[in-house]
Amino acid sequence: MTRTSRAGRKNRAGGENRGLFGFAAVAFGLYGCFLVLPLLLSLRSSFTNENPLRATSSFVGLDNYREAVGDEQLRASLVFTLILAVGVTVAANVVGVLFAMMLNRTTLSYRVMRTVAFLPQVLSGVIVGFVWQTILTRDGLLNSVLQRVGLTDEPVAWLGSPNLALVSIGVVVAWILTGFTTVVYLAALQNIPLELNDMAALDGVNRRQRFTRVTWPMLAPGTTISVTISLITVLKLYDVIAVLTGGGPADSTQSTALYIVQLAFTSDRFGYASSVAMVLLGLSAVIALSVTNVLRRREVNL
Amino acid sequence: MTAIRRLRPRVRVLLAAAVILLFVAPIYLMIVNAFKTQPEILRSPVSLPIPPTLDNLGTALGRPDNLIQLGLRNSLITVACSVALLIPLSAAFSFYLSRRRTRARAAVLAVLAAGLMVPPQVILLPTIRILTWVGLDHSYPGLILSNLGGGYLSFAVFVYVGFMRSVPEEVVQAARLDGAGGVRIWWRIVMPLVRPATATVAIFSSLWIWNDFLNPLFILGPLQGQTITTGLYLTIGQYSVDYGQLFGIMFLAAIVPVLGYLAVQRQFIAGLTAGSTK
Repeated sequence: MTRTSRAGRKNRAGGENRGLFGFAAVAFGLYGCFLVLPLLLSLRSSFTNENPLRATSSFVGLDNYREAVGDEQLRASLVFTLILAVGVTVAANVVGVLFAMMLNRTTLSYRVMRTVAFLPQVLSGVIVGFVWQTILTRDGLLNSVLQRVGLTDEPVAWLGSPNLALVSIGVVVAWILTGFTTVVYLAALQNIPLELNDMAALDGVNRRQRFTRVTWPMLAPGTTISVTISLITVLKLYDVIAVLTGGGPADSTQSTALYIVQLAFTSDRFGYASSVAMVLLGLSAVIALSVTNVLRRREVNL
Repeated sequence: MTAIRRLRPRVRVLLAAAVILLFVAPIYLMIVNAFKTQPEILRSPVSLPIPPTLDNLGTALGRPDNLIQLGLRNSLITVACSVALLIPLSAAFSFYLSRRRTRARAAVLAVLAAGLMVPPQVILLPTIRILTWVGLDHSYPGLILSNLGGGYLSFAVFVYVGFMRSVPEEVVQAARLDGAGGVRIWWRIVMPLVRPATATVAIFSSLWIWNDFLNPLFILGPLQGQTITTGLYLTIGQYSVDYGQLFGIMFLAAIVPVLGYLAVQRQFIAGLTAGSTK
């Protein structure tokens, strides 16, 4: 009895919503087919020795994960990815706050800056990568300017030596992201009531204290968004690095994202590639969730 | 002291100008060098192109492989089809969700949020396999379907759900009393009320799909006609010495997204800041 009446109620709503339900079902179905299902398949592959060159594949249990633990190249790629993610996030957010404070209240430059700062985000990573490559290669534009001015005699291998390449990639990625962080912080700054700063000034608070006690805490919600998105962006970054160095020299700038693609499409090791992909997914999830958690708590405590 | 204080706004503007210059420098290089000859670029990479030459653009457009023309066309088709399907699907889904019980809604949104975090490399291989099963690998419909189901749907639903919460229940009830069905209410009443959300979804998903690299590269494969982004990647390497050609091609490839962005930049920034400051 209860069943029929519940079904009846459902039907009435269903009758009105049937078309809508159709759209929703298609949308959710697509999400299931092209996100959830691939994720599950990838998890399953990570326990096999799948290889597109072989017809059969068999379960190998945890072998891939055991291999991953001892894989020097994976470890190097994770270290590179983490250093890049942390470095770029700190740089893009520190510079973003500075730019935002500098541009706050200067209306003209604010409007121009907002427009200009976003250009790197509008261009594809491929274009950004190639533009910076023409600047940073050995016989590139930066070296030719430096040599003309007389700052260096020898061209600097900005992308050709492991440590410099890490820094160069970091600068390029931070350059891409800073437009985003600046605008987020600008928006957050403009949400701070003016009276708050006036009151602090009346209380005789100096500029540094005004920043640490008033401005910075008030930026908290902006910081959460800005830091989380910066981290996630770098953790899955592919195109910019592929264009700038392709992972070289000698795999020194190979991010985990590049390593996965190399394992899958160059080495044809689908199974192992999937387990490395799972490692990257787990790492991204842990980092994103814990960072958001910490930053959110900071918002609440204010 | 007062003199310094009077100077400060000016210093601020100067500093801001310097910052802007720093920001545009690489883009400035791309633009000016697209209109210079190779020897000129090498002699003075940062100077203005006087007199400007159109040779680079002409050569880029006259390539026998039609890189620019085909790439732009393929990108336009992919973006237009993906976004034209994504908007009604995600909006209807969101409206349906926004009328459900809170707990069911939270569960579905949690599943979608997880999707935002998945790096594309993780699902690339199995996505290609699924497309092969249904016979859509190496095809535009396959690329468009995986665009629809992949991360973009999560993003679109999040934007719409936020806006649809603010549509008053009374409006929907009144329409229902007048005998309007779910689809009709959604399309005729709710959609016009959430136009800013539609603008945000359209702008950002267009941009991301246009710039997407991994999916077109591996789902379409090298022989099926490239989008402009992957086409650039696959062909431009050989020009690493010929700066004139390189900058000419990149200028032509960049011009559509940049002009599009300049046209809608107000909404672009509004959409971006809406989520970050509540």
